Amino acid sequence: MNSWKKYIALLLALVMVCAMALAGCAGKKSGSENTASDEEPYSRDIFAMDTYMTVSAYGDSGEKAVDAAVKEIQRLDALLSTGKESSEVSELNGNNGGKLSADTNALMAAALDLYESTDHVFDITIYPVMKLWGFTDQNYKVPSDGDLKAALKLVDASTLDYDKEKKSVAFTVGGTQIDFGGIAKGYTSASVAKLYRDLGVTSGLVNLGGNVQAVGFKPDGTEWRIGIQDPVDAESMLGVVSIHDAAVITSGGYERNFEEDGVMYHHIIDPSTGYPADSGLISVSIVSEDGTLADGLSTSLFIMGREKAAEYWRAHKKDFDFVLCEKDGTLVVSDGLRDRFSPIDENAKVEYVS
Amino acid sequence: MKKKDFLIAAAVLLLAGILALVFRFAGGDPGGSVQVKVDGRVAGTYALVEEQRVPFDTKYGHNTLVIEGGKAHIEDADCPDHYCEQQGEISKTGETLVCLPHKLVAEVITGEASDVDVVAK
Repeated sequence: MNSWKKYIALLLALVMVCAMALAGCAGKKSGSENTASDEEPYSRDIFAMDTYMTVSAYGDSGEKAVDAAVKEIQRLDALLSTGKESSEVSELNGNNGGKLSADTNALMAAALDLYESTDHVFDITIYPVMKLWGFTDQNYKVPSDGDLKAALKLVDASTLDYDKEKKSVAFTVGGTQIDFGGIAKGYTSASVAKLYRDLGVTSGLVNLGGNVQAVGFKPDGTEWRIGIQDPVDAESMLGVVSIHDAAVITSGGYERNFEEDGVMYHHIIDPSTGYPADSGLISVSIVSEDGTLADGLSTSLFIMGREKAAEYWRAHKKDFDFVLCEKDGTLVVSDGLRDRFSPIDENAKVEYVS
Repeated sequence: MKKKDFLIAAAVLLLAGILALVFRFAGGDPGGSVQVKVDGRVAGTYALVEEQRVPFDTKYGHNTLVIEGGKAHIEDADCPDHYCEQQGEISKTGETLVCLPHKLVAEVITGEASDVDVVAK
């Protein structure tokens, strides 16, 4: 009798333990699902501007915001694509200039400011050279010296007769062709960020093929953690930057390239030589509140190399910060990111520039 | 008799501990999966725990999604640039493999938590 009671007690205890364990598990699971759905953003993904894009936004206006973002991206893609004959840029290229819409006027102004400030490293008239290399249509080939010389003659943004007030541009040298590709994605992510804010979104993320722009903070109030791609290993990162309300844009030769006769050619062309830049850097990441600037500077600083990039930053340090990766893996980080950047590899050589 | 009671109590506690551990591991990790979309439409979702080769033949072309050792990558793509094959293996939530010419995206939808919100590349 006594032992029979004990078995009952034991059985009851076991049942309780099982129930508790199950309840504990279930509670944990549904708990995490609840948190997840509270914090789940509205997201949409699209293919545009020759890349894969994801836009997401949290909060009540999230759904409206991502729908508007997709429309905005499609609108700008139709306006700026050099591959579409009907685009405004194609019409400018076909007619040696013309009237500019509000967006192309803003892009032209930004492009020519960058042309001046980077000492002509950023040049939207590089398009004929990009075409020769096949970077515009994936028909990659190393151009002949003669063809390259001829195309390089057309690379000179100072020949563009631009009037910002009248919103017009005239190409004063026949055959000149422009492409906003160097700033188009940054401009687009900045436009989407503005649209988010106008719709009251206080937390959102725009990822245009790896060009990232964050709006506000994460829903939990902490900063966004943005990884920076390792240019050598597709599966790893160089480090993480913690930011809010900023764009993080990376350029590297690893993004688009081809091999011919055992030589690797990448898509970041130095307008002074017509050849892929060989400045000692293998990737450049720019952190800036201004997405357009971040986009333009990521390629420009890549072409400049470490010393000129640091010099440029010293003259414009309130506008942006950078993480440069040199061929030997050394990371060069501008001082503004000292407390915001952490390398993934603890043994990485990190040098701060101030 | 008291000693026996004590032993029974100890056995119950031990069992409870073991059961708690079993439930924790059985129920705590639902296992990762990869969702493949072609041109924005979901083409399928595949568990990362299952070793498999999934061919995708669409109007854009061919790619094979390979899942091995809990990670996914793309093989035998007939796209012109083959970038999708060079993107390595993915296993963390939010990581993607993208074949632009074929409008194909493989994304880890439930997996190991990622350390970052997004990667700038």
